[in-house]
Amino acid sequence: MSDAVVAAQRISRVFPMPAGPVVAVCDVTLTVAAGEHIAIRGPSGCGKSTLLHMLGCVDAPSSGTLVFDRRDVSTLDDRARSLLRLRHIGFVFQRFFLLPMLTAAENVELPQAEAGAPKRERRARSLELLAYVGLGARADHRPAQLSGGEMQRVAIARALANRPRLLLADEPTGELDQTTGEQVAALLDRVNADGTALVIVTHDPVLASRARRVLTMRDGRIDHEAAR
Amino acid sequence: MNVLAFAWRSLIRQPARSILGILGVAAVGALLFDMLLLSEGLVLSMRDLLDRLGYDVRVMSTDSIPRPGPDLADAAPTAAQIAKLPSVRTVVTVRTEAAHLVREGVSVRAALVGISGRPRPWTVLRGRDIAGAGDVVINDSAARALQASPGTTITLSAFCSRDDAAPPPRRLRVAGVAEFPFDTPDNAGAGLDAADLAEACAQSAEAADYLLVTSAGDPERAAADIAALRPDLLVLSNEQALGQLQQRGFTYFRQISTVLTAVTVSFALLLITVLLTVSVNQRLGEVAALRALGFSQRRVVLDVLCESALIIGIGGVLSLPLGALLAAWLDAILKQMPGLPAALHFFVFRPDALVVHAGLLAATAILAAAYPMRIVARLPIASTLRNEVIS
Repeated sequence: MSDAVVAAQRISRVFPMPAGPVVAVCDVTLTVAAGEHIAIRGPSGCGKSTLLHMLGCVDAPSSGTLVFDRRDVSTLDDRARSLLRLRHIGFVFQRFFLLPMLTAAENVELPQAEAGAPKRERRARSLELLAYVGLGARADHRPAQLSGGEMQRVAIARALANRPRLLLADEPTGELDQTTGEQVAALLDRVNADGTALVIVTHDPVLASRARRVLTMRDGRIDHEAAR
Repeated sequence: MNVLAFAWRSLIRQPARSILGILGVAAVGALLFDMLLLSEGLVLSMRDLLDRLGYDVRVMSTDSIPRPGPDLADAAPTAAQIAKLPSVRTVVTVRTEAAHLVREGVSVRAALVGISGRPRPWTVLRGRDIAGAGDVVINDSAARALQASPGTTITLSAFCSRDDAAPPPRRLRVAGVAEFPFDTPDNAGAGLDAADLAEACAQSAEAADYLLVTSAGDPERAAADIAALRPDLLVLSNEQALGQLQQRGFTYFRQISTVLTAVTVSFALLLITVLLTVSVNQRLGEVAALRALGFSQRRVVLDVLCESALIIGIGGVLSLPLGALLAAWLDAILKQMPGLPAALHFFVFRPDALVVHAGLLAATAILAAAYPMRIVARLPIASTLRNEVIS
């Protein structure tokens, strides 16, 4: 597929353990096209997060081929993979992982600073993104002064800071109540509608139902795929 | 936000722990600074005292220093011979004895130095210098004890150390009050003409304890010329004398300071390693998240190194005034040892101590950060993120 952001071809991930190797992901083939919205569901331990980490180039497949933006990830060293993540991939975590000593705006600025964006430019971009996620008035607040939903929205703004082609979210509503979770889900929909490919790992059937493709995993494999 | 600013924010995030670390480094750094001052302090102080005497070569009959040994029986003719060398400017004979100085029924035991010429190994504070026979300069302790001042007459009863027979007392006029570089605190001292002292001791004016020489500009050359002229005598420039002192008496201080320096540096190393390791372990999830967001391995390692540098840098700066105060206090304690010249110091500042201090602390900052840097460098991003969610 010419417009594929990331393409996994028969990738597996095996963890060596004292009691014997554990196969977390087995023989998965998956292509995420530009602007796509995919949800990955499945029971705990089925390999959803491991697959997400491989798609996000933070973990390497034990076998198979992963191509991100026409580049074989296995040929990239750690520095190149970091750069690839920095410029092309955004991550949203269940636990937000905002830095508590920085304000919301500074948290959003951080990836831009790492990417070498000029100070004035990254400040403007941070404020723009915080306004986009509905937190324009909370730019100077620290994470401890924000609610869980607000923190996740800041985390989404941070993930979008360097205009990624792919946004990966691992249980983005896992720590939130239903109402706040829906707000975050709506925000993610908007991010996707604005052109960013989105892959969400979730237990939440409501959140998963918003995706155009829903993959269900079991025992490390994609057991079922449904399109909307 | 640059790496240093980011590290600073990380530090102030846990102010109590950071302050403890900084204070720990300040205390350790102060000790380290003091050990560096102590390692060369005595030598530098002794060099200063020797330089203040105004001579740069000494000629003795024995290598027993700092106290001279047996008399130079032919001191006067030897001095005359040496004075003719082109590398020598002046030569004086020096005789040291003990005596009672008496005035109006008050008697003090005093160390006497008799000298045959100029420059004098003392500095006149009040009054004038001795002008010849019958004049004496006394130090402040003697002046206080005898309530003497320039113009006063005192009686000198020498009990010369090598002669049990007490010579008749001599009346001397106090020409001035002087400071003697090797004065010990509260001990009386006096300086007079060598011939006067020889007469007071009923000894030959030809003899002396040792000779002091002022070179024409090159002490080492003057010492070599004198040694060639009189190979039977021990000739030492100030630097050579200091070298001998370093090898003998002062080597203990250097050894003690080396051991304590190693101990203090090790302590700082462990302190910062533990603090940073605990700090890093508490935020592995954040580090893994930053790595997932694209922060390079180099960047997260640099963050830890900068935190270490900040703790040690701030602590190191604070350690300097703390160390200076501690050195002054310890110096005052050590100087209470009996028989030490008042002007001698154990802790002496020298600029290169600052450089060594900074260098050792910088090396400590790097070494202390090595283990926590290794933790973040090898952090498995995916499994750390997974573990953080599970925990």
